[in-house]
Amino acid sequence: MTATFRITALALGLGMLPAVAQADGITNRTIGYVLTNKAWAVYQTPSGKDECPNGMNDGPREQFKVLFPEDGTKRTMAETQFVREGENWFPAENEPIAPNGKPLPYLEPQGKTGIGLNLDGKIGPNDFTSPTGETGIDNQLYRAIGCVAGFRGPDGAYTFFQNDYMQRQIFNRVLIEITDVDDLTNDPDVTVTTYRGFSGLLNSANGKDFIPGGTQKIDERWGKRYIHSFKGRIVNGTLTTDPADTKIPYADTFDTNVDLTLKAARFNLKLTPNTAEGLIGTYLDVKEWHHHLAVNWTTHHASYGQQSIPSIIRAMRRLADAYPDPVTNKMTAISAALDVKFVQAYILHEAKKSPVAAAEAATAPAGR
Amino acid sequence: MRVYSKFVPFAVCVALAACSAPPAERAPGPQAAAKDTAGIGPLDVTSPQRLRVMSAAQYTNTLANIFGPDLKFDTRFPPLVRTGGLLGNGGAIAGVSDSQLEQYQRTAALVAAEVTNPTHRTFLIPCKPVDEKAADAACAGKFLPAIGRLLYRHPLAPEQSQALVKEAGEAATRFKDFYAGLGYALEGMLISPEMLLVAETSEPDPKRPDHQRLDAYSLVTRLSLFLWNSGPDSILLDAAANGEIQTAKGRAKIVNMMLASPRLENGVRAFFDDMFGFDDFATLAKDAETYPSFTGATAADAREQTLRTLVDHLITGNGDYRDLFTTRKTFVSTALAPIYGVPAGRGWVPYEFPEGSPRTGILTHISFLAVHSHPGRSSPTLRGKALRELLLCQVVPRPPANVDFSAVENPKSPIKTQRERVNLHLANPVCAGCHKITDPMGLALENFDGSGAFRTTERGAQIDASGNLDGKSFTDVVGLGKALHDHPSLPTCLVERAYSYGSGGSANDQAKPMLAYLNQQFAAAGYRLPVLLRAIAMSNAFSDVKKPETRTASVSTPSQK
Repeated sequence: MTATFRITALALGLGMLPAVAQADGITNRTIGYVLTNKAWAVYQTPSGKDECPNGMNDGPREQFKVLFPEDGTKRTMAETQFVREGENWFPAENEPIAPNGKPLPYLEPQGKTGIGLNLDGKIGPNDFTSPTGETGIDNQLYRAIGCVAGFRGPDGAYTFFQNDYMQRQIFNRVLIEITDVDDLTNDPDVTVTTYRGFSGLLNSANGKDFIPGGTQKIDERWGKRYIHSFKGRIVNGTLTTDPADTKIPYADTFDTNVDLTLKAARFNLKLTPNTAEGLIGTYLDVKEWHHHLAVNWTTHHASYGQQSIPSIIRAMRRLADAYPDPVTNKMTAISAALDVKFVQAYILHEAKKSPVAAAEAATAPAGR
Repeated sequence: MRVYSKFVPFAVCVALAACSAPPAERAPGPQAAAKDTAGIGPLDVTSPQRLRVMSAAQYTNTLANIFGPDLKFDTRFPPLVRTGGLLGNGGAIAGVSDSQLEQYQRTAALVAAEVTNPTHRTFLIPCKPVDEKAADAACAGKFLPAIGRLLYRHPLAPEQSQALVKEAGEAATRFKDFYAGLGYALEGMLISPEMLLVAETSEPDPKRPDHQRLDAYSLVTRLSLFLWNSGPDSILLDAAANGEIQTAKGRAKIVNMMLASPRLENGVRAFFDDMFGFDDFATLAKDAETYPSFTGATAADAREQTLRTLVDHLITGNGDYRDLFTTRKTFVSTALAPIYGVPAGRGWVPYEFPEGSPRTGILTHISFLAVHSHPGRSSPTLRGKALRELLLCQVVPRPPANVDFSAVENPKSPIKTQRERVNLHLANPVCAGCHKITDPMGLALENFDGSGAFRTTERGAQIDASGNLDGKSFTDVVGLGKALHDHPSLPTCLVERAYSYGSGGSANDQAKPMLAYLNQQFAAAGYRLPVLLRAIAMSNAFSDVKKPETRTASVSTPSQK
């Protein structure tokens, strides 16, 4: 337990509040942020024509019409709806063949521009180049979902509901706390820790925005699995971290409560005293992501966003680029990036119950 | 609107009345039983005998004390007119219009329905009727006179009690419901002039026959409204009935009991809420784009923060009143924390700003900073004016009607800081006279924006928070707090306000010896509020009233017209 944590814990234990923040928002060499917006990083041009020249992919309703046209053929529910429902959970390896004899089409983004981070340190043939010219961007998830309307911003159904549920449900609260930080512009050695919070977000007076200055309590009882640390550094106001595995709460509809595993995740965030914005680059376990989509996402929601779960999962399996299965040697994870926005928040650590800890805290020196 | 034959809407024009003779139905109070002089302080100072309208808070507190705090009703009485720096003084010059009466009626109906509903009747009504669908004079007779004594602040005469029971019985028969009948009678009591108007009555002081004093029931009522912001409870009414309150020893016992009661917090909150002009919170609005952290919850909690700080410092901690303007100790809530730039705890949490913090004293609370600002920017002038008028009891003249504001309200003005803006006033001799009075100390609060948040710059320019207060110069708000702390008018203003609040009207020239006495008492006690409250409550001036002049009745009813 650091001195900072002990001071905070003692202060809360006594029903008092810790010290006021410095002008740059750092208090006792610590600054916290809470996640307010997230979206899977998708490169978008205003018309969408550059990256998706053939338009957007069909969703469940459009695919159903192609597969089962109203041509007078008598079909049972088991031959139609049940088949499609089963496909959601057990997608075949290839797209189904339509009555016209062709497999259902699936459109991938075109071009070499993509958003994300260089996760493997290499520049490969399938890598993208960022709009700012950074090469070696690993984001094969973009190739799988970039031409699916629901994943595109700002109001794609999936993106919208992901944020809506995250913002409204406190069990979806994601916190990062940067400790050992002396300067938000340049600091060669900081620690970033992820937590699950369980407080509401702070709304602006007009209700349009989430604003800094709120307070977040940490879920230290049920949220232990979300606590992970990253070593990092701040250069010219941008925080980058070494990769490490972590989990974040990732519930979508109907208050379902599931986790998302971020493999070899790393942060790349532009920091200010009020905000932290940028990317979390990571690898996603395709099987877990499929499970999320099937469990969390209803067919009618998927239909709003023209998201065909079997087609998306087939694409993800095909494009997976990391973590080979030791037996089959098939890739099990796919590179991806989360486009994220955090606002500053005071992160409260629960007071420790142990009298020894309280005694330690009472004698610990204060931070700066 | 239900209209009662007995409780005809009472008055459309109520003015200050001198009620020297007790009502005929009033139970006789102690007359010349006391052999000692009850009060202390100057002997020849009197306060006016008054007729006051109860404030919404006094009405609510009275009902909460009688029926319990869980009663759900909405009290929205019209605001009183601020007089002599206090809304409380406005109660003595208030009129009651038909629309006000409708609001009283609405509240009364809600309360009566709550008291007699199945949830509350079992413990608020001390008996059960023989038949719930019929009148029951015995049961109504146990409830109505007992409640009437607390609502009217004196015992009911037998014929008055009988009339109420009869009223309840007739209504019960009409509605075929005992409790509906009881509620009908109770509703009438709750809008009765005897409930809503505090009409003080007096009697010759038996010890000093040439002096007039409040009678016992008026005295306990005045004490209760002053210290508890509520009507008197049964203990006080007992002390009036047995004459104890008119003796020095008995009055001291009662006043000490009242000062030790948790209800004192209600009284202290009400007084400071009034003195600090917190009724302005009712119309406080901030531009949401300019101040995104300032919400409706912020405004409500800002008021509460300062009241909590006052009670904690002055009552719980028995602290020096002047230290309120330098203390870094306060309380913070979830809604306030973002503006103060501190973490929020669970609910209200005690908080002490660190040494060296600019947050020193209640002038740096959001309550003062935000209320005395414009919706979209701070205002050194409004803040300075409030400081002088609310805290030092000085009067700042209103601006002339033909002021040209174009120079200071030009949205494209190159002016960056409020200091530059208000300096424009000083260039105009018409404006400079008043702005020299208000701005030099208001500018010391410029490190806080219109929402109360701390800042060091304004539109990119560094803020100069230097100023002076009546010859004392300072460089920042901490210096302003110290200058205010040491200002001779700070404690004397509180004394004047507290005395006029307690006696129900502005202190006039005749009260000067009394104020001098109270100032001396307050200073000798290290500016402790409970000592001041006790000195006022025990003073001759609090209980002695001016001999009534012969006047025509100033309370008229439609039937008298």
